[in-house]
Amino acid sequence: MAEEVRAPLAGNIWQVLVELGAQVEEDDELVIIEALKMENPVYAPRGGTVKDIKVKKGDKVAEDDVLLVIE
Amino acid sequence: MRPYFEKMPSFGKALKESRIARTRESREKLEAVEREIAAAREARQNVGIPAAKVNERGALTIWQRLDYLVDPGTWRPLHSLYNPEENEEGTTNVVDGLGKIGGRWAVIIGFDNKVLAGAWIPGQAENVLRVTNLAKRLNLPLVWLVNCSGVKLPDQEKFYPDRRGSGTCFFRHAELEQTGIPILAGIYGTNPAGGGYQGISPTILLAHKDANIAVGGAGIVSGMAPRGGFDVEGLEELIARTRDIKERPPGRVETHYGETGFFARVYDEETGVLDGIKEYMRAIPAYDPMFFRVAEPGQPQLSADDLYHLLPFNQREVYSFDEILARLVDGSEHMEFRPEYGPEIYTGLVKIDGLLIGVIGNRQGLLPKGYPEYADYPGIGGKLYRQGLIKMNEFVTHCGRDRLPIIWFQDTSGIDVGDLAEKAELLGLGQSLIYSIQQTDVPMMLVVLRKGSAAAHYIMGGPTANRHNAFTLGTAATEIYVMHGETAAVATYARRAIKEKDSGRPLEPIAQKMNEMAQSYYDTSRPAYCARHGFVDEIVDLGSLRRYLEAFAGAVYQNPKSICPRHQLLLPRLIKG
Repeated sequence: MAEEVRAPLAGNIWQVLVELGAQVEEDDELVIIEALKMENPVYAPRGGTVKDIKVKKGDKVAEDDVLLVIE
Repeated sequence: MRPYFEKMPSFGKALKESRIARTRESREKLEAVEREIAAAREARQNVGIPAAKVNERGALTIWQRLDYLVDPGTWRPLHSLYNPEENEEGTTNVVDGLGKIGGRWAVIIGFDNKVLAGAWIPGQAENVLRVTNLAKRLNLPLVWLVNCSGVKLPDQEKFYPDRRGSGTCFFRHAELEQTGIPILAGIYGTNPAGGGYQGISPTILLAHKDANIAVGGAGIVSGMAPRGGFDVEGLEELIARTRDIKERPPGRVETHYGETGFFARVYDEETGVLDGIKEYMRAIPAYDPMFFRVAEPGQPQLSADDLYHLLPFNQREVYSFDEILARLVDGSEHMEFRPEYGPEIYTGLVKIDGLLIGVIGNRQGLLPKGYPEYADYPGIGGKLYRQGLIKMNEFVTHCGRDRLPIIWFQDTSGIDVGDLAEKAELLGLGQSLIYSIQQTDVPMMLVVLRKGSAAAHYIMGGPTANRHNAFTLGTAATEIYVMHGETAAVATYARRAIKEKDSGRPLEPIAQKMNEMAQSYYDTSRPAYCARHGFVDEIVDLGSLRRYLEAFAGAVYQNPKSICPRHQLLLPRLIKG
């Protein structure tokens, strides 16, 4: 079952730490969003495979934008 | 109360390989700063004449004396790099720290007899006041290794007079004694004038056979009557008098042991004096730690080495404070106080060496949606909001009631600002926290994990809490300033930039000044600077942090001035509900 990982806050994508097809575990760091003068990590809500990555470094994202999909 | 404390809830997770890999560079940066601090500490230790030369004269250096005196593995140096007046000697000329002697914690300080024969020099008085305050706050014996040639005469105006000048120490000694805190002095060498009072003001004086203490030494006794100037004839007389008196300096053992009896004991060997201090230390009241332990002592379940991968060197990078704390406390266990309220702040009870301690720390990262409740903007950890301030006030007050010492961990960018924050009473709640701290009368220590900034640095148990903050530690990631340098540059130059722009003048000079200001803030907030200027009492390797926490816990529970029976503690019940 696929699960979308969404931006918890608006900001700029500072780093994408995983590649397409990567195996991740719950709580792995996936993406770092630069916002409020801080680099905020976004963690995997559960383990799985990274099926889709919707953002790249430098992208602006709004709160709740889909960052990537884990299956 | 065994069910509360024997096994508290575990916290913290094992470090992931991916995080270790991603934070390798951060670790290298942290370790580079730690190496820089270690090198500065070693350089400070080597100032003055070589140890071999001191030993040739039949004396030990301060470092050798400490090595003999302090129980192995218990020395926790403080103020290693402290040199607020930027003395060319690179030191305040005293060495101090916490250490165990004869199994009991003591605050220990001694003159560096390799530098100007242990003279008073600028900045030393402030160093000594920190040390006497520490003994008072922790209710610990103060041990002096006196070997003091008195005032460095060319610089006397910088430290001899004033409210907090070198003489203040003797009033502080009297104050400690009034409160029942003993001061032991091991006395070596020639100690005239200021050195004489350093010798006479402690409670028990133990002297080496060649030591002397005197109101004035040979140097001034031979020239006490000013004649309005100097000439050759006068110098000839001076030389003759000085030669005579140098052979027999005033205040020798034959006087102050044989006649006045000021010296309690005299020893032929240097180490004999130190053995005497050990014997007296063993005679001072101290609880066995068993008396106050709420559980068997234990190490953290998670490795302290992880700290290098959990505390980012990069000030902008978010991390988990709870994960850091889990690497520092017994069994990686805790009891968190009000976890759902004031999410930017951790408050909870932990065990250090089996002793119960309150902990307060800044959490980092994005806060739950809808927080702070009074604003329409998102909350971010490191900042303080209404609930966090109220929670700290509550927790501190309960710790005071339960007589629990507090360890603060700061990584704060300040208190929330703006009209909404003012309406939410943050200004008043910050000062309320200061009031709450002040009324507890429990010892506190602070670790500035990363950023100490704005008023939050004051109110979160900062060094400005003079009567409560026993000491403050920094790490390789510490930065302390009123605000970030770039913020300060904007505050300083924004209006001027508008004027320049409106006048049609170029903006490059303003930009350059702003960059210079930001750089200056950076330079004066780094760990070594913080240590030199006393913003922190020591910069400690992350791997050694727990050793200081253990020393603090052991020291405050050694002979507390007031106690709360464990079965009458309120905080654990409030947490359990």
